[in-house]
Amino acid sequence: MEITRKELSCDVLIAGGGIGGLVCAVELKEKRPDLDVLIVEKQVTGFGGKANKGGGVLQYFQLDKITPMDFLQFHVNEIGCYLGDQDLMIKYVEMNHGMLDKMTEWGIKIPKKPDGSYAVMPTGPFTAMISCELDLCLRMRRTAEKLGVRIMDKTAVAELFTDNGKVIGAAAYSILDDGTFYSISAKKVVLATGSQNYRFGSMWSSGRGDGIGAAYRAGAEMRNAEFGNFFQLVRVKSFHEVVFGENFMYNANNEYVTKNFTDKRETDIPSKAVREWYLNMLNGTGPIHLDYGQMGHPMGGGKPGEGRPPMPPRYGDKFRELNNKDGEIDVDMEVCPMLIGEQSCIKVDHGMQTTIEGLYAIGDASYCGSGVCGAVPAPPARNRGSGILNAVFAGILGADDIAERTLEDVPAICPCQLDKCFETIYAPLYREEGVSEKDVIYLIQKAMAPSDYSVYMEEGRMKEAVALVEEAKALLPKLKAKDMHGVLCCHEAENMVLSAEMHYFASKERKESRGWFLREDYPEMDNENWLKWIVIKNEDGQMTMSTEDVPIEKYPIQPAK
Amino acid sequence: MIFTNHKIEFDPEKCVGCQLCYKACFVDVIRWDAEAKKPVFKYVEDCEHCFYCQSVCAKEAIKVIPDHSSEHLLQHFERYA
Repeated sequence: MEITRKELSCDVLIAGGGIGGLVCAVELKEKRPDLDVLIVEKQVTGFGGKANKGGGVLQYFQLDKITPMDFLQFHVNEIGCYLGDQDLMIKYVEMNHGMLDKMTEWGIKIPKKPDGSYAVMPTGPFTAMISCELDLCLRMRRTAEKLGVRIMDKTAVAELFTDNGKVIGAAAYSILDDGTFYSISAKKVVLATGSQNYRFGSMWSSGRGDGIGAAYRAGAEMRNAEFGNFFQLVRVKSFHEVVFGENFMYNANNEYVTKNFTDKRETDIPSKAVREWYLNMLNGTGPIHLDYGQMGHPMGGGKPGEGRPPMPPRYGDKFRELNNKDGEIDVDMEVCPMLIGEQSCIKVDHGMQTTIEGLYAIGDASYCGSGVCGAVPAPPARNRGSGILNAVFAGILGADDIAERTLEDVPAICPCQLDKCFETIYAPLYREEGVSEKDVIYLIQKAMAPSDYSVYMEEGRMKEAVALVEEAKALLPKLKAKDMHGVLCCHEAENMVLSAEMHYFASKERKESRGWFLREDYPEMDNENWLKWIVIKNEDGQMTMSTEDVPIEKYPIQPAK
Repeated sequence: MIFTNHKIEFDPEKCVGCQLCYKACFVDVIRWDAEAKKPVFKYVEDCEHCFYCQSVCAKEAIKVIPDHSSEHLLQHFERYA
C-alpha cells in the first residue's frame, strides 16, 4: 500500500469535533476572525463525541437560590474532597448562565418556559439540570462553518510535533482506505479528543484516549490519572444505565443496603455504591436489585429507565426509543456496576494550556487534569450535566487564552520527526504477522472492568490488574492491521494500555481513600499526607511520577482540623 | 465492547443515499460506496449497537440486531460466593 504524504498548515489546529472542539473553534473565530482554524475529527464532526449520545443534559445553577460559594462548599466537602482547584470551580459556576446564553446564540436549542426562563429541573439542594436536544453538535458545526472554520473528517490526529519545547503541529492520517498522511503545521494545537473509556460502554465508546496518548508521548504532564475509573449501575442483561439507582439498592435478603454507605439521597452514584455491590457479592448476599417502592424515581416516571423529564418531540426521540426498547430484555431489576472509564488526565492551567507551550487540552481530555473537579472522575463526575457544560467552559477558556496571544510563526517540522511519526503510525500495516488489537484491548478491559480491581482497590488485587496491563503492553510491538481501520484500532489499543498503566501507576501511590478513590487497605482520607496531586510524565520513554501540593491554604474551603 | 456478534440488516431498496448512517457511525463500522451511493457495513465486528445509524435513517432501511449474549461485564463473578 502506497501512502501519500500531504502538508497542511493553519493557525490553530483543533483535534476533535465534539462539543468542546466546536465551542473552542466558534469562540475563537468570534474573538479572532483573522485566524485560520482547522478542526480535524477522526469520525464526523457534529456526530462524533459523546455529547450527542450519552449526553442530553446541561448542568444549571439556580443562582437566585444559591451563591457560587454555596455550591463550592457543597462540592468541595461532598464530591471533590479538597483535591480540586477551587478557583477554577468558582469560575465554572459563575459562568454557567452566560455559557447557556452563548450556546443559545450559537444555535443550540435549550428548552425554555413561556416566561423565557430556562426549563430547569432541580436534582438536589445545590444541583439542577436542563434537558437539551441531541443535535447540539450538528448545530454547532453549522455555526462553525458559517464563521469560516475549516473541517476535515475521517482523519485521526495521532502524534504531536515539537520544536524547542513547543508544540508546532501534529501528524494525522486518513482512516479511509487511502490512509493519506498529513503533517499539519500549527501555531497552537488544541486537543479536544475526549477521555479514555476503554471501548467498553456503548455510548461512551468514542472516548479512546487519543489526545491523552499524544500529549503524554510529547512530554506533557498528566494529573489525577487515578481518577479515571467511573462506573455506573446497569441492568445485567441489556447493560442499560440506571441513573440514580444507587439510592434504591437491595440485596438478596431484601435488605436496603444503600443505607450502608449513605444517609441521604445522592446527587449521582458514589463509588461507595460500587463497593457495596462488591461486598454483598463477596459475602453471599448478592445479587443487588433496585426497588423504587413508594418513593418513586427521583426524576419522575416511577420506573427505572424513565428518568428523563417529559419533553416535546425532538431530534433524539427515535434514538432513545430504540435504546429503551433494547433494555426490555431485562425483566427484573438486578443491577451490576459497569466500567465507563472517563480518564481525563492532561494537566492544564486556567487557560487550558498544557505544560508544553502551544498545546492546549479541553473538555473530557483534561477535566481531571485541570483539577477543577477534585477527587472524582470526568463527567458526570457526580454532577449530572457537567460533561457538556465543562466542555463548553474549557472550550471558551482555551479559545480566549489563544485569542489574547500573539500567534508567532512556527519553524518547519523536523524531517526526522516526520519520518519517525510516519513509520510509527503505519507500522501495524506492514507487519507480516502479529496480534489483533482486540487481544490487547481485551486484556486492558480485564484489568479495568472488575470493580474490585479499579474501584475498590487493594495492593494485591492491583498487582493482578497490573500484570494484565503488562501482558497487553508486551503485545503492542506485535500489533498487526490489515487496513486503515485496523491502524486506527491499533493506535487506540496503544492509548488504552497507556491509560490503564497510568491509572494503576498513580493508584498504587495514593495510599488513602478520597472522594471517588477507594482503597480497601487505606480506607481513610489522609489530609496530612495526601492533599497532593499525583503528576505523571514521560521522560525519555520512562513513566515518572511526582507530587504537587494542593494549595489548600489559598482556597476558601479547607478541611476541618 | 469487543468480540461481540451484533448484526445489521440493510435494505438497499429503501435507501436514498443520504449518507446520514455513514456520518452517524462514530466507531467506523459504516463506510460509503460513492459509486453505488450506498453504505457499506464493513466492520460490523466493531458495532457497539448504539442504534445511532438506525435512528437517523428516515427511510427505515437499517435495523441493528444486538446479540446481548456476546457482551460481558468482565466482573469477577466467579470469585463471589
